Amino acid sequence: MLEFIRFELSYRLNRPATYIYLILMILMGFLAGGTDIVRAGGSGGKVMENAPIVITQLMVAMMIFGTFITSAVMGVPVLRDFEHKTDSMIFTTPTNKFQYLTGKFIGSFITTLIITAGLVIGMIVGQTGDWSWMDNADRLMPFDIMAYINPYLVFVLPNLFFFSAIFFLGGALGKRMVVVYAQGIILFMGYLVAQTFIAQLDNQGTAAILDPFGFGALQVTTQYWTVAEQNTLYMPFSGYILSNRLIWLAIGVACLIFLYIRFDFNLTGNASSKTKKKAKKMAREDKEEILSPVVNQLFGLSAQITQLKSLSIFYFKWIIKQLPFIFIALAGVAFVFIIAFVGAEGSYGIELYMTSSRVTQFIGIFNLFFIIIIVFYTGEVVWKERDVKMNLIYDALPYPNYISMASKFLGMVLMSISLMLLLMFCGIIIQLISGYPEIDWSLYFTELFIDTLGTMILYLMLGLFIQAVVNHKFIGFGLMFIFYISMIVMSELGIEHTMFYFGRTGLGGYSEMNNFGHYFQPFSWLNVYWFGFAVILYSVAILFTVRGIDSNFFIRLKLGKQRVNGQVIMVIVFALIVFAGSGGYIYYNTNVLNEYQNSDDGKAERAKYERTLKQYETLVQPKIIGTKLDVDIFPKNRDFKASGYFLLKNKSNDTIPAIHIQNAADDQVSTVLSFDKGVTEDTTNNEFGYVIYTLDQPMYPGDTIKMNIDVSFTTVGFKEGGSNTDIVYNGTFFNNTQYFPSIGYNDAAELSSDDDRKEQKLEPKERMMETDDPRGIAQSLFGDDADKITFEIVVSTDSSQIAIAPGYLQKKWNEGDRVYYHYKMDTPMVNFYSMISADYTVIKDTWQPPVDSLPEVALEIYYNKGHEYNTDKMMRGMKEALTYYTNNFSPYQFRQLRIMEFPKYRSFAQSFANTVPFSEGIGFIQNIKTDDVDLPFYVTAHEVAHQWWGHQVTEAGVKGNAMLSETLSQYSALMVMKHNFPQEIIKEFLKYELNSYLMGRTFEQKKEMPLYQVEGQGYIHYRKGSLVMYALQDYIGEDSVNAALKRFNQDWAFKDAPYPTSKDLLKYYRAVTPDSLQYIIKDMFETITLFENKTTEAEYEEISDSEYVVDLTVSTIKYQADSLGNEEEQVLKDWIDIGVFTEDSKGKDSLIYLQKHKITQEENKFALTVGAKPTKAGIDPINKLIDRNPQDNTKTVDEKEEEKPES
Amino acid sequence: MNLSIQNLSKTYPNGVQALKNVTLDIPVGMFGLLGPNGAGKSSLMRTIATLQEPDSGSIQLGDLNVLTQKTEVRKVLGYLPQEFGVYPKVSALDLLDHIAVLKGITNGKERKALVKSLLQKTNLWQHRKNSVGGYSGGMKQRFGIAQALISDPKLIIVDEPTAGLDPAERNRFLNLLSEIGENTVVILSTHIVDDVKELCTKMAIINQGEVLLTGNPIESINSIEGKIWSKTIDKEELIAYQDKYNVISERLIAGKPEIHVYSDSRPDDSFAPKPADLEDVYFSKIKETTQTAEAV
Repeated sequence: MLEFIRFELSYRLNRPATYIYLILMILMGFLAGGTDIVRAGGSGGKVMENAPIVITQLMVAMMIFGTFITSAVMGVPVLRDFEHKTDSMIFTTPTNKFQYLTGKFIGSFITTLIITAGLVIGMIVGQTGDWSWMDNADRLMPFDIMAYINPYLVFVLPNLFFFSAIFFLGGALGKRMVVVYAQGIILFMGYLVAQTFIAQLDNQGTAAILDPFGFGALQVTTQYWTVAEQNTLYMPFSGYILSNRLIWLAIGVACLIFLYIRFDFNLTGNASSKTKKKAKKMAREDKEEILSPVVNQLFGLSAQITQLKSLSIFYFKWIIKQLPFIFIALAGVAFVFIIAFVGAEGSYGIELYMTSSRVTQFIGIFNLFFIIIIVFYTGEVVWKERDVKMNLIYDALPYPNYISMASKFLGMVLMSISLMLLLMFCGIIIQLISGYPEIDWSLYFTELFIDTLGTMILYLMLGLFIQAVVNHKFIGFGLMFIFYISMIVMSELGIEHTMFYFGRTGLGGYSEMNNFGHYFQPFSWLNVYWFGFAVILYSVAILFTVRGIDSNFFIRLKLGKQRVNGQVIMVIVFALIVFAGSGGYIYYNTNVLNEYQNSDDGKAERAKYERTLKQYETLVQPKIIGTKLDVDIFPKNRDFKASGYFLLKNKSNDTIPAIHIQNAADDQVSTVLSFDKGVTEDTTNNEFGYVIYTLDQPMYPGDTIKMNIDVSFTTVGFKEGGSNTDIVYNGTFFNNTQYFPSIGYNDAAELSSDDDRKEQKLEPKERMMETDDPRGIAQSLFGDDADKITFEIVVSTDSSQIAIAPGYLQKKWNEGDRVYYHYKMDTPMVNFYSMISADYTVIKDTWQPPVDSLPEVALEIYYNKGHEYNTDKMMRGMKEALTYYTNNFSPYQFRQLRIMEFPKYRSFAQSFANTVPFSEGIGFIQNIKTDDVDLPFYVTAHEVAHQWWGHQVTEAGVKGNAMLSETLSQYSALMVMKHNFPQEIIKEFLKYELNSYLMGRTFEQKKEMPLYQVEGQGYIHYRKGSLVMYALQDYIGEDSVNAALKRFNQDWAFKDAPYPTSKDLLKYYRAVTPDSLQYIIKDMFETITLFENKTTEAEYEEISDSEYVVDLTVSTIKYQADSLGNEEEQVLKDWIDIGVFTEDSKGKDSLIYLQKHKITQEENKFALTVGAKPTKAGIDPINKLIDRNPQDNTKTVDEKEEEKPES
Repeated sequence: MNLSIQNLSKTYPNGVQALKNVTLDIPVGMFGLLGPNGAGKSSLMRTIATLQEPDSGSIQLGDLNVLTQKTEVRKVLGYLPQEFGVYPKVSALDLLDHIAVLKGITNGKERKALVKSLLQKTNLWQHRKNSVGGYSGGMKQRFGIAQALISDPKLIIVDEPTAGLDPAERNRFLNLLSEIGENTVVILSTHIVDDVKELCTKMAIINQGEVLLTGNPIESINSIEGKIWSKTIDKEELIAYQDKYNVISERLIAGKPEIHVYSDSRPDDSFAPKPADLEDVYFSKIKETTQTAEAV
C-alpha cells in the first residue's frame, strides 16, 4: 500500500499540472488576501480584511473553484490505469484491491492537500506582506494563524475529503472523466439550490444541510453576527456547521466503502467486456464486377454551402448527443424549475405572478450553465477531429479552410438555438403550471433569441478564437477563466466604460409599463460593436487554426499568410469598419453627446466640491415660500421643460447680501435663472453648478424676492451604463430635489462612506447632525430650502398619457397632441413634489370619514393596464388606514388621495402631499394568497401614514428623525394590519422584520445606533422600528401609544421650525408608560438591547381532562450592545411573556396561556396550570423581544415520565 | 503527371532531423517507400499530403506546387494516414458519405452510388451499418482506403497500411491497392519488404531521413546478386560474427540464429550462397547508414 501511495505521489509530483494547480491556488489566495479583486460578504466598513469570517468566506468560496482541481486530481488515478491500459499489468501483480485503492486514494488526497495548502499560503502572504498598493494597514488586524487554520480544518479539509471521495468513486467506477464532471456539476447545483433556499427563512435549515461546500451552513450560522463578532469569533464546529460537516463526511466515507465493494479488481477495461456482434448472416460475396460510378467533384460556392450545411448539422447532432451536454443542459433546466417554483419568493415570503417577464428572469439562471457549455464545447468541437485522431484524413480533404471553423461555429449556434427553444418551452410550461397562461411571445423572443443568444454567440466566437489560437484545449479553458477574472480586475483599475467589456450589451431591466424602454438602442449598438470585434477574432481564428500537424507558432504564421486572400481581407476590413464605426458612434453618444465619468472621477469631483464650497454650508439664506411652475413632459423624447418661479423670503433676523444657488448637477439638465430684483452673478464655481447672486439691495428680514427658473432636461443619444430611469417613454416620475435648483451648499453631495473619504483624503464625517443641533432643529427632513410652501403647477404631457402632481386638479385641457393639467394645493405643503406622466388606467372610489363634519375624500389609483391584481387591496388599504389614523391621531388634511404606479427600475413607494407614487415591483404584481402578508395593503397603509408622519408632523433634519416618520408609519400600518388580518400574519411579518434587522446589523458599515439616534439606517428605523413599536403597544397598550401619538400630533402638526426630534417624542411615550415599565423605553429606543431567551425543559403532567400542569425551565440573558456589537450582560428586572400552546382542531398552534412574568435571574422555573393538553411552551413565545435565536424560545412539551420508586 | 520532390529537409524542434535533402522523382504507378520505423517515411508522406511544412525544398505534382497550392492538391489527393481514428458510433456508410461531401461530391445521388461502390469494392458493404469504431484492424484499413479512393484521386498516399494486419487481411489490402488505376501516382510507405516486392515497380529505401536507394526492385536485387551469404550459428557466437563479418540481418530459425552476410566473396566454406532478395537489398542499405551514423 505504501508503495502505491509513494508511486501515486511521485507520479503527481512529476506532473507539471500539479505545480500549475499549486501556483494557481497560491495566486488565488494571494489575490483574495492581498487585493480587493475578490471580496467577501461582510468585509468593508468596520469588518477587518483579515477578520476570521472574511478569511473563512474567501477560503470556502475559493474552494468552490478548487473543486475543479480536486476533480482533476481525484478523478483520474484509477481511470488513468484504464486509459493507459496498464490495468491488466497492475491487476495481475500480487496486490490486493484494498492496497491498490487505499494507496491510490491516499496518494492523490495528499496531493490535493498540498495543492490547497497553497491557497492558505497565498492568503497569508497577501495579508501579511507590505503591499503598498493596498493602503490598507488600518483595515488589518494583527496576524493570527488560527484565523487561517480554523476555516481550513472546519471547511477546507472536510470538503476536500468528501469531494475527493466522491470524485475518486466516480472516476474508478464510471471509468470516464465525464462522470466526474457530472458529479462536479451536481455538487455545484447543491450549492446553488442551497443559495436560493437561504433567502427563505423557513428553509434555512435545509439550505445549511444541503450545501456540500458548507457555505450555506456558514451563512446561516453567521448571518446575525455583529461587526465585533465578525472580527473576533472563529467558526464554531457546532450547530448547523457541525451537522453539515458530519453528514457530508459520512457520505464521503460511504462513497469509499461503496467503491471498495463494487470495484472489480479482476476484470479489466470495458473493451473486452463488450461482446462483439457477429454478423447475423454472411452476405453472399459480390463476385460481379463493381463499376465505379462517374461522379463530379464540385468546389464552387454551392458546393461549399452544401459542405457547410452538412458539417454544421453533423457537429450539431454530435454535440446534442453528448452525455455531458445533455447532463449540463438538464441540470440547468432543473435549476430553472427549482428557482421558479421554490426560490421565487420575494420579500416577506410573497410570490409574484408568473408573468413572462418574471419567467424570463428565472430562465436567466440558465446562463451560467450556458457559459459552461460554451466554454467546454468550443474546446471539444475545435479538438474533435484531433481527439478521435481523424484529423489527418480531414485536413487533407479539399474543402476551404473557413469551412471547418464556420461549421463548428454554426453547429454550436444550432445547439444554442435548440437550447433557447427548450428554455422557451420550459418557460411556457412554468407559466401554465403556475396558472398564468398569458404568454408574451415577443418578450420571450427578445430576451432569449436576441439578448441571450446574441451574448452567447459572442462568447462562442471568443471561445473558438482562443481555442484555435492557443491550440491547447486546457490552456484554452484556463484562458477563458482568466478572461472573466480580467474583467473584474479591470473594474478594480477604474476601467468602467462598457466599451471595454466584451459582450456586455445590457438590455437592462424589463418593466411591464415601459417594456425595454430606451435600453434597446444602446443595446443594439453595443451588439453591433461587439459582433464586429468577434468577427475579427473569428477571422484570425480561421487564418491560424491548425490544419495538418504543424503547431509551431511561426509555421502557423507562415501558413496563415498563405491563407490570406481577397475574401478574408474583405471580411476583416468589413468587420473592422463595423467595429470601429459602431464603436465611434457609441463613443460619440456616451462621451461626446453625453458626459461620461468613471466612479473615481465622480468621487474626486464630489471631494473637490466639498473642499471648495463647504465654507458656505452655514450661510444664512432665504427660504422658498411659494412655487408656481409650468412643467412640460415629452415622454417620446425623454425630455422635460420647467419654467416658473420660486418666491424666496428672508425668514431670518439677519440681512442677506447674496443668494447662493445650487443648480442640478445632472449633465442633461440646463438651468437659467433670473430675479425680479437687481443681482450680480458670480460664476466662479460654475463647474459645480454653484452660482452666487449678489443682491444690489440686500434682503432684510421679511423681504421677498422672486426667482424665475427655466430648467430643461434633454436626452440626446444614449449614455454609458445606467441611464436615467426617471424620465422614460411610459412611467416618468421625478421630483423637485433632483432636477430643480436648490438654495445654498448641498451637503448631500458630500462623499459619505469612510472608505471613499479616506481615498480622497477627507476626514470621516458624521452621517447626520446631532439631535439637539440648533441648525438641525431649524430645518425639516426635507432640507433647509423651505419650511412649507404654497404650490401651483401646470403639468402637460403627450395626449396619450396622464400627468399628475400634488394638489387638486383645477382644469384640464388639450392643445394639439398635448394635454395640460392644472393642479393647485390649497394649504401650505412641504417643499417636495412629484411630477408623473404615464399611460394610465384609473380606478376611483371615495372614503367617508368616521366623523360627519369631515369632508369626503376622493380615492384614485392610476395603474398600468393589466396590473389590476392588487388594486382592490390598495384601495382597501387606503380606506382602512385613513379610518384608523383619523380615529386615533387626527383628521386627514386633504380631500383627495392618489396612488400611481411607476416602472420597477426603482422599488419603493413614496408619499407626497395627497399623492403616492408606488413602484410596479413592490405591490402591483405580487400574488397575495390568504396566508401571506398583504404587502400592497401594508405598503399602502405605510405611505398613507406618512401623510400624518412627515406631512402633518414634519420632523427635524437630525439624528433619530426617521423614528418620527418611518418608525411611526411602520407602527401605524402595523396597527391597521393588526385590526384587519389574523395574528399569524402579524407574526409572519415580524419574523421577517426581525431577520432584516439582525442581518442589517451584520452589514453595518459604520456604527449601529439606538433607534432614537438612527442615522438613516433602514434596518433600524423600519425593521427594528416595527419590532419595538409592536412590543411597546403590547407592553403599555395600543390605546396608550395612540394617546401619546395623538398628543404629539396636536402639539407639533403643521408647524415650522423648530421641528420635533426623537427626544421630543420619547417624552410623550414616557408620559403614558407606567413606572414599572419605564425601563422598556430605555431598552427599546435609547440603547441596543437584545435578549437570549431559551426554553431548556418543558414537561407536563395530566391532572385531569381539563387540567394540566406544565413545568417549564427557561433561561434569559439580557445584553446591551455597543455600536460595533460588543455585548455586555445586563441585570435582569424584566417582564417577559411566558406562554403555552395547544393544538386546535385544525392542527394549528393556539395560545392557552400568555402572561408576563417578572424575570430577575438567568434561570427560572415555572409551574403553570392550563385547561387543555399543552403542545409547545416557552418564554417570549411570540417573539416580541429582539432575540438572535428566536426559534429556541419555545419547546415541545413532553409528558412527564412517572417516577417509579425502586423496589 | 508525376511527383517530383527536390531537396526536401525538415528538422523537428527537438532536434531530430526527419528529412535530409530528400530528392525523389515518382512517376505514375505504384511506388514503394521502404524504411524502418522512424526513418522519416511518415514525415515525407505528410509533407506530400499538404499536412506538414518542410524547412526547405520543393514538391511539384504535375504543374502544381504542393507547398503553396494546397487546396488544388487536396482536390486530387487520396490519403490514408498511418494511424487514424474515427468518430465513435458513426456507421461506415454515414462516415464515408460525410467525407465524400467534403471531397466535393455534393450531388446526393452521385454520392450515394459512389459510396456504395466503394464499400462494395472494399468488401464492407455488408458491414456498412456498423460503426467504424467497432471494425477490426483490417476492415478499418479497408475503410481507410475506401475514403482515400473517393473521386479518383491522381495522387494516393498510403502510409504503413499493412502494419499489424494478419496475412489474409494484408493480401486483401494489397489486392485492393493493385486495382488502382495506372494513371495514378500511388505512394506506399511500409517497413515490410514483401509489400514492395509484391506491388511496386519502383521503390526507394529511406533511413534516418535520407534516401539510400531509388530504383526498380528487380534491378536492385540484381545489383547484389551473388553477394549474400547465409549461415546458421549458435546464439553465443552472434556477437563474434557481427564483429568479424558484415552481418546485415539475423533471424531465428527453429530457435537458432541464421545470419546473412554481405560480401563480394564467400567469407568461408561454412557460409552458403543465398539468392538475393529485396529484403537483403533493404538490410544491406540500412546497415550501411547505421554504420556510417555510428562512425560519426
